[in-house]
Amino acid sequence: MTNMIKTESVKHEYTSHTGKSIMALNGIDISIEKGEFVAILGHNGSGKSTLAKHFNALLLPNSGTIMVKNIDTKNEEMLWEIRQIAGMVFQNPDNQIVATIVEEDVAFGPENLAVESKEIRKRVDEALKAVDMYEYRKHGPHLLSGGQKQRIAIAGIIAMKPECIILDEPTAMLDPSGRKEVIDTIMKLNQEEGITIVLITHYMDEAVNADRVYVMEDGMLVMDGTPKDVFSQVEKMKSLGLDVPQVTEICHELRKEGIKLPADILTVEEMVVELCRLK
Amino acid sequence: MSIKVENLSYIYMKDTVFEHKALDDVSFEIKDGEFLGLIGHTGSGKSTLIQHLNGLMKPTSGKVFIDEDDINSKTTVKKTIRERVGLVFQYPEHQLFEETVFRDVAYGPKNLGLDDNEIENRVRFALDMVKLDYNEIKDISPFDLSGGQKRRVAIAGVLAMKPKILILDEPTAGLDPRGRDEILGEIKELHETHKITVILVSHSMEDIAKLVDKIIVMNKGKIVFIDKPSVIFRESLMLESIGLGVPQATKLARELKEKGLDIGECLSIEDAKLQILKVLRSKKND
Amino acid sequence: MIKDITIGQYIPADTPVHNLDPRSKIIITFVFITALFLVNTFFGYIYILAFMGIALGLSKISPKYLFRGLKPLVFIIVLTAILNIFMTEGEIIYKLWKLTITKEGLIQAAFMCIRLVFLITGASLLTLTTSPIALTDGIEKLLNPFKKIGVPAHELAMMMTIALRFIPTLLEETDKIMKAQMARGADFESGNMIARAKAMVPLLVPLFISAFRRADELAMAMEARCYRGGDKRTRMKQLKFEMRDIYASIITIAFGGLIIWSRF
Repeated sequence: MTNMIKTESVKHEYTSHTGKSIMALNGIDISIEKGEFVAILGHNGSGKSTLAKHFNALLLPNSGTIMVKNIDTKNEEMLWEIRQIAGMVFQNPDNQIVATIVEEDVAFGPENLAVESKEIRKRVDEALKAVDMYEYRKHGPHLLSGGQKQRIAIAGIIAMKPECIILDEPTAMLDPSGRKEVIDTIMKLNQEEGITIVLITHYMDEAVNADRVYVMEDGMLVMDGTPKDVFSQVEKMKSLGLDVPQVTEICHELRKEGIKLPADILTVEEMVVELCRLK
Repeated sequence: MSIKVENLSYIYMKDTVFEHKALDDVSFEIKDGEFLGLIGHTGSGKSTLIQHLNGLMKPTSGKVFIDEDDINSKTTVKKTIRERVGLVFQYPEHQLFEETVFRDVAYGPKNLGLDDNEIENRVRFALDMVKLDYNEIKDISPFDLSGGQKRRVAIAGVLAMKPKILILDEPTAGLDPRGRDEILGEIKELHETHKITVILVSHSMEDIAKLVDKIIVMNKGKIVFIDKPSVIFRESLMLESIGLGVPQATKLARELKEKGLDIGECLSIEDAKLQILKVLRSKKND
Repeated sequence: MIKDITIGQYIPADTPVHNLDPRSKIIITFVFITALFLVNTFFGYIYILAFMGIALGLSKISPKYLFRGLKPLVFIIVLTAILNIFMTEGEIIYKLWKLTITKEGLIQAAFMCIRLVFLITGASLLTLTTSPIALTDGIEKLLNPFKKIGVPAHELAMMMTIALRFIPTLLEETDKIMKAQMARGADFESGNMIARAKAMVPLLVPLFISAFRRADELAMAMEARCYRGGDKRTRMKQLKFEMRDIYASIITIAFGGLIIWSRF
């Protein structure tokens, strides 16, 4: 397995406009393998967005190093390579679409990379098909739903042929159907195209399908493991201001009452199977 | 204070190619002191409906009554309607504009023409309701606050109007679980201690199930259901067909029943826990 | 009212006019406007009308739609007519207190109004048949030679694109904030000028803040997508002159010649 992103004791401090110095990242060591689907959970202000912006050199650490595919993000000469390898999708779908026509927007990234025009056309069509938005290629973005806009933003990144996509709370402003569209798209890209996914979120249900979950608090990684490892620690998750799936919580409550159930139930289906066994 | 809606229809961009029926013959009644949930997927007409309830939108046909007053009749003063029916839009923090929290929250009461003394009382009351310390926060710029605090100041700006009916359009959108629980807790308290009628628009079935007495389900500009949560969530297949879900606890109960383990109806974690325990323990005693 | 403004709207279609290179269309419009100002007789307008007629016919845009674009500008046209009628000296036909209507004034007014109508419809025809993106591309390419003397061609075009992109978003936002403040008892419609201007503050402040926040986020998103200015950038759609551009140029040159000839 090869490293996609590797950080070593990354610290990031900034001064807020009230003059207070804030330690947004306080010693982050994380290693993300190629092809992995990683979710980073944390409440607002835990430092997860700041961390995400370090992964493609939008921010640089005060100390420590971040390597993206073995390139140090401090290396200014490699800046554009890093951003091409590790693409980024942001929270607000409106504020990352540049052009007035969907396909023109998807072309924006490859145009910046000076890709040849025929090749851009090919990449744009492929990218739009990959996010299932090909039929909307001639539309104006303002007429699309939030979920559709976010898929256009993802297509804009795919057209740059990245190896890793970092999504900074891509679903925070979407309704449930929009959230599902985006998460399904991400999962498909991870499974079918082998693209490494780093999903920053505070919705626990989106992290359930990840290979690995990290939980952040006060600029530090406080939990890490498979979704089952992490969510089964119901009390700890709650103390960090995060949710666990309702069934996991029901399971936790029943275990406290002495019912013999495994601690790591995450889905309704698993719970039904276990309860029927007890009956 | 009660709301009565009679045969309300609203046609968007009438007589153009974009013509679209946003509300289609909607009628319902909300009694004084009820806590009502309004659900429906994006574009189902929820936002259009709530904007009709305080006269921000004028119906194409039909009537809206707030306490027997037809809000669109010429003799009704719009300001008195907006004083009685408070509306908190989605992402309300985007409407903040004053230099200090005090002045921003005071904007509504000032528009009502109240005297300084009463304005101060109102601001104190409103900030208190959203659990912000008046003395600590009143002179701070609202733009220096955290996301969750901004949202609460914005909600206080509506509460300072002392509405008898409070409508909130997804008040927890974009907040993390802690911020969400705090805001919902404050709304619940407001309803319980001040007997305010609340209409909550939300995409979270879990939150709706936890809080409301009654649910209105909308689809394509029409009301498809209006009933108690336990009744509404029985219709899980129907809800799924119009792009909505049910709380996970409800889904669990349904699937257990299909497998022959009937634990009754569940809306919350607490329900599920107690009912599963009851069933399991009674089985053991058999 | 807003839906009547046809300048700046684009009606997609597959016609010879739509398919012309935007650079050709911009230059042709430029020649057309110059010709319009060179015309000095009513007779000259026949050529203009003929040219306009051909372009309109080929573009398959309904004349009714084109003329609807005049509606919001009726005020300017009427004002021009009134000023010309009363301010031109000459043979007096009618006298009303201090105002006089002259024969020359009436002729001049008619002449100016026709010119204005052609000017507006001509410009509308350009935007109705050219997508905003093609238009900005065309402007960028046409301005490129002037880069050497410091004209920021790419930056201007990028600014236009972003402005066009965000107009609908900001309009929607304005409506939302306005309603949110109205729900807090704001009144945007009554009172004198000063009171109304003051009432706009709760609308404008949030709108500006939001526009700045959007600009900030957009800049970051563009940077993350490797945007670093216009140099070395390629384009997906490249502009190409084709046979139809040559035909259009020939017709336009002939038209220009006719206009100049008509002056003598």
